[in-house]
Amino acid sequence: MAKWGMVIDLDKCTGCQACTTACGMENDTLPGENWQDVLFYTEGEYPSGRMKWLPRPCMQCEDPSCVHVCPTRATYKDHDAGGIVFIDWDKCIGCKYCMIACPYGVRFFADEAPLVEPDLKEIFPGSGGRLWDPPGQSPDQNRKRGIGVQPKGVVSKCTFCYHRVSQAPEGVPDLDEDDPDLVEYVPACVRTCPPKARYFGDLDNADSNVNKLIANKKGVRLKDHTGNRPQVYYLGAGAGIPAFKPKS
Amino acid sequence: MSADTIDRRNTGLMTGLLVVGAAIAVVTFAIVAFALISQGHAAFNMDANVAWGLPIATYVYFALMSSGLTLIAALAMVFGFKQYYPLIKRAIWLAIITLVAGLAVLAMELGHTFRMLWALPLNLQIESAMFWMGVFYLLDLIFMAWKFQMMERGDWTSRLSRQVGIASFIAVLLAAGTLALIFGMMSMRPFWFDPTLPVWFYATAALSGVAALVFFTYLSYGMDRSGMPEGLRMDLEGPLPKLFLALAGITLVLFLSRMTTGLYANAPEVNVVWSDYLLASGWFHFAVWGGILLPFVLLLGRGMRNAPGVQMLAAILVLIGMFIERLYFVVGGQVVPLFKGTWERGLVEYAPSSTEWVLTVMGIALVFALYGLGERLFNLSDSPMAAAGEEAAGGQEAATSS
Ligand code: SF4
Ligand code: SF4
Repeated sequence: MAKWGMVIDLDKCTGCQACTTACGMENDTLPGENWQDVLFYTEGEYPSGRMKWLPRPCMQCEDPSCVHVCPTRATYKDHDAGGIVFIDWDKCIGCKYCMIACPYGVRFFADEAPLVEPDLKEIFPGSGGRLWDPPGQSPDQNRKRGIGVQPKGVVSKCTFCYHRVSQAPEGVPDLDEDDPDLVEYVPACVRTCPPKARYFGDLDNADSNVNKLIANKKGVRLKDHTGNRPQVYYLGAGAGIPAFKPKS
Repeated sequence: MSADTIDRRNTGLMTGLLVVGAAIAVVTFAIVAFALISQGHAAFNMDANVAWGLPIATYVYFALMSSGLTLIAALAMVFGFKQYYPLIKRAIWLAIITLVAGLAVLAMELGHTFRMLWALPLNLQIESAMFWMGVFYLLDLIFMAWKFQMMERGDWTSRLSRQVGIASFIAVLLAAGTLALIFGMMSMRPFWFDPTLPVWFYATAALSGVAALVFFTYLSYGMDRSGMPEGLRMDLEGPLPKLFLALAGITLVLFLSRMTTGLYANAPEVNVVWSDYLLASGWFHFAVWGGILLPFVLLLGRGMRNAPGVQMLAAILVLIGMFIERLYFVVGGQVVPLFKGTWERGLVEYAPSSTEWVLTVMGIALVFALYGLGERLFNLSDSPMAAAGEEAAGGQEAATSS
């Protein structure tokens, strides 16, 4: 089985947030509850200060701390599904321990005060225990893998668009949106990215383009000291997070 | 047999507590339940940055108070300090009801409380500290209820009774310890990450436990020690306030060491939390200087220490201070935003919603109501000495009635 990985080239990323928008459309997330987001930071000070940004999906960690803490095994890593970390919405008790334990802050309870007004939960009230019923919903629903419209009282996160990726033919080294045979299986953020800053492929396949990029362009993982070992790699200058400094 | 020995002079107050407490608990429960049904968890102010807020802090407060009460009862139950016997029945009752109140608050906070009942046992995630905390607090509750029931039957020191006492002591060490490690093992949350966190939890648990015991004992006797059975009165005149003083002292030392390390650390996730969040808040200052240092100073001199008013004041200060401390502890681990970009460059701002406060009031009301109930139903001041005295006085009668 493949081990799906993502490579994000920060020298190409323009911070346009097309990936964030595509993810929200694809996965019916509420505004602001961004499974995929682009984070902006300022680093340094005048005269050498600069702005930097990096897109941030769930890292689908090799050693995911969210999985270790989950008391019900609702959060699990499926090695038979590309090593993606899923949430079983029928098992999650909404204790939010995983949100505490994820170093990358990529988990969303979403059953909370709206992050963006107006409150779409009021405009499109949810049925069947769901948080909302968005118009033009995605047909893909899989509660066991946390895919579809998020129910109340549980946590959600990026699934690497498993509902697409899982349809890809067995053994492909990469899912490249430029390949007409594969374009439908590419995660929404990767497919959308205008400057082609995102790549998706099999980290276990020595011939995959993602492996070549990581090797040749010195791919790094963010916050590597946490030991979570992301399956998402970053290329280019600026793959790092400035230390927290509150505004004075 | 014990119904005859209940000190009936204060049952009016206790009935009042029971009725008023129960009424407040029911009303506050209804308010929170209605808010949750109509608004969902948007009724609470937690979000992706501060996932655990006031309800979790309230749970931690009550759960640790319960653990502290059992630790104090263990002095007699496990370590054989007989002079503490007159305290333990009340301590165990309080431990049971504070844990129940804490669990009730937690139940209202979780996304899916009932799902927990099958999802925890069916999935046995032994890697999760939260799983073990659930197991140990459940055992703790069972052993405490069992021990209480034995004491109620007059069985204080039989082999089985002692074994159950020891079992509840071990369960409570494990429970409070795992509760600490839920926070202490999170290396991605440096403010909490601390292998010795269980020590801090034990010390503060015992301190809040002793404060609760002092507070409720005086409440039962209307501040009047002369109405107490002799053993209990002697405890409140000597060993208990001394223990109170010692625990305040230990907590103070531990706090100073935590604060110094926290401020000295270069890591902003630790240092900024101390300087810009905890110590920047008047409430937090009140919690430590008013809620730990002042009680310590008040109890230092022997004369002061034995005065009921001073003991009560110290107890109330600790009970309020510890509550604030728990809230700042729980939120403090989350105020430096994880991986959120410049949009969140300041510390995360979190203030509990009114529904969260109502939920906390529900927990408090539950404790008062159940305490009133306990005083009505049981003789919480009972002790083996009292039982022995009674038997000596009216031996045959007791023998036939039991
Ligand atoms: S990034 Fe967070 S949510 Fe995703 S797998 Fe890693 S620890 Fe889990
Ligand atoms: S919130 Fe759900 S997925 Fe997260 S740790 Fe709790 S039960 Fe597991």
